[in-house]
Amino acid sequence: MDTSQRALVPIGDAFERAPCGLLTTATDGTILRVNATFCRWTGFDAIELLDERRIQDLLTMGGRVFHQTHWAPLLQMQRSVAEVKLEIRHRDGYKVPMLINAIRQSADSGEYDDFACMLVLDRHKYEQELLRVRNQARLALEEKSVAEDALRSADRRKDEFVATIAHELRNPLAPIQAAARLFSLQNFIDPRLSWSSRVLERQAKQLARLVDDLLDISRVAEGKLEIKVEHVDLVLIVRQAAEGSRGMVETAGHLFVVDLPTEALFVDADPGRILQIVENLLTNAAKYTPAGGTIQLSIDKDRQNAIIAVRDSGIGIASEDLPSIFGIFSQLSSGLTRSQGGLGIGLSLVRALTERHGGKVGIASEGPGKGSEFTVQLPLSPVQRANPEPTTISNCVFNGSSRVLIVDDNEDAALSLAMLLDIDGHEARTATNGAMALELVSSFRPDVIVIDIGLPDMSGHELARLVKQTPGGTDSLLVALTGRSQEQDRQAAAEAGFQHFITKPVDYDTFLGML
Amino acid sequence: MSFLQRNNVHISGAGQQTIVFAHGFGCDQNMWRLFVAALSGRYRTVLFDLVGSGNSDLSLYDYDKYGSLHGYADDVLEIVAGCAKKPVIYIGHSVSAMIGMLAAIKAPELFAANIMIGPSPSFINDGDYVGGFDQSDIEELLSTLDNNYLGWSSNMAPAIMGAPDQPELSTELTNSFCRTDPDIARHFAHVTFLADHRPDLAQVSTPTLIVQSNDDLLAPVAVGQYLHDAITGSTLAIVDNVGHCPHLSAPELCLEATEEFLRKLGL
Repeated sequence: MDTSQRALVPIGDAFERAPCGLLTTATDGTILRVNATFCRWTGFDAIELLDERRIQDLLTMGGRVFHQTHWAPLLQMQRSVAEVKLEIRHRDGYKVPMLINAIRQSADSGEYDDFACMLVLDRHKYEQELLRVRNQARLALEEKSVAEDALRSADRRKDEFVATIAHELRNPLAPIQAAARLFSLQNFIDPRLSWSSRVLERQAKQLARLVDDLLDISRVAEGKLEIKVEHVDLVLIVRQAAEGSRGMVETAGHLFVVDLPTEALFVDADPGRILQIVENLLTNAAKYTPAGGTIQLSIDKDRQNAIIAVRDSGIGIASEDLPSIFGIFSQLSSGLTRSQGGLGIGLSLVRALTERHGGKVGIASEGPGKGSEFTVQLPLSPVQRANPEPTTISNCVFNGSSRVLIVDDNEDAALSLAMLLDIDGHEARTATNGAMALELVSSFRPDVIVIDIGLPDMSGHELARLVKQTPGGTDSLLVALTGRSQEQDRQAAAEAGFQHFITKPVDYDTFLGML
Repeated sequence: MSFLQRNNVHISGAGQQTIVFAHGFGCDQNMWRLFVAALSGRYRTVLFDLVGSGNSDLSLYDYDKYGSLHGYADDVLEIVAGCAKKPVIYIGHSVSAMIGMLAAIKAPELFAANIMIGPSPSFINDGDYVGGFDQSDIEELLSTLDNNYLGWSSNMAPAIMGAPDQPELSTELTNSFCRTDPDIARHFAHVTFLADHRPDLAQVSTPTLIVQSNDDLLAPVAVGQYLHDAITGSTLAIVDNVGHCPHLSAPELCLEATEEFLRKLGL
């Protein structure tokens, strides 16, 4: 409505020259009225459009499909469509992008549709660019996800490789440790030989520890780290760990200060793993403290947690290294050389084991040369008293000699174990395959049969079943020997008839205890 | 798997026979409003959205499953078996007419009649067969979808102009009518317009009505005739209508053909 006093152009002229294309069509799209602006933008004369063409005839083929599947039903159902962008075919063939609004009107003569079309040349280019970039981003994302998958699978293969290495290293370690032990039992006249034998035994033990760590860390990576939770006195375990490590710490010339609470602190934890945590921390502290330093071990507690702290006067840690100190393969970048040895997995294992127990690890250092303090926080058990003593089967006291058959295709491992047993007064025989073992079972009638699960001619499980049906073997105690110690392996061994399960390398004292 | 939520199934009306309605590419079950209003007095009616359209559960859009119309047909079979005790009357528009046909080939015992509105067994021209489109036209459609979903994907509803003279429609504006995830729309367009089910036509055993517009860009009369010739015993009803949605723009003619067909079948 014209409310101003100024004279405006007649409404008809305003329609013709409006800054947008205006059309009226029948509901089937036939163009009934069109303004000059639309004609100018599309290159048609009005006469070529009126009653001659439908609005959809001016669209690209793709646009027509869109018109049929989206626009027409919307207009029908809703009586209006807004902000649809379609390309109109110019009379000369090229495409003209337009943003279109339409509304269905009722009149006495029936229904018709009004259209307003806006040329969107710049906007269209900008949107095309936006689409192109979005597409590019999508492709980049896809590439990224493919690359990540490849990395993950490479990482998984690496984990598997580390696990395989750890298992393979365990095999030769068993006979090496057994042989070292044999040497240590000799009284050498030459002091160099007795020193050598001590070195051999000590280093073999260290090697075994490293391999165990390696195996554990591969289990962490594969998410297979198992813990066996018991209700135990943390103070007792930490004291054990301290005594076990005292030799190592003091050999390095350090003062070892152990300050543990007098009362018990109960936690629900795997005692073997706690031992491992503390020993790792102490080993770490001793290693990174120059000779003549001080190592302190203490336990503190708050309302909910027990906090084990290992403090050293060692080389300390720069603040930039603190966040990554518990990461795998993390060794200090500066100040320390590889000559200190180690796999760089001890601390990451400490963290994994601690977190597996629902605890957390901490590190503090005032900087290089100022020592470090590692803490392990473990949740206290809600029950702060010992469980009633379980009725344990009294340890079989060794009373006399046993006949032991060792079945292992690693002849070195079998023979070295047999020699140790002989020295301790047992009678031991070896077999390197299943067939040989079955023959010996009949003639030797062993009390105990140790069977390596992986034999060349049959599986250890199969041999166990056959032994149970062989005269001389029906009453034998069966011990499974394997490089793996997952729950399912134990399960499988138990199902095959094994009463005991030990992992390589054989800890000789434990084995003797079993006899 | 709950097909009721997955496919946003709505059951209403009452009657001895059940009609299942399936919408085509682009929109959702709202397309059937006029049809359902006319039929729900005498029939039980089942409405649903294809997965990826309307208010279906978009999280269940499986690009492999819905990479062919058979994935949709399997959904239809679940809906039909779950919503009716005896064979149903299936009314499908466009691509859903073909989906219903595939479902009925898989389990003919579940279908009493298939009413195909604007069907096409293949949109792409191939030798003597005139589907109406070339591959390049489909690419153009995909680019048109891209152009529009740019604005439609997240805020289409408030952008649509109101319809003051029909306030009952206003609730639809906040619905996802004719709107879905742009990636799904692209994929569905690909699957719909590149499908070729001409070889399946000979296997149809369900009584079939083909409702063909006399002026439809997407399904030309020749395509309706092709279907009629290929589907043994089928009925062809050509209605006077411009466009691909005769059930919206010529509902009386479509209803008339439908009801006459059902009457002859005694349904």
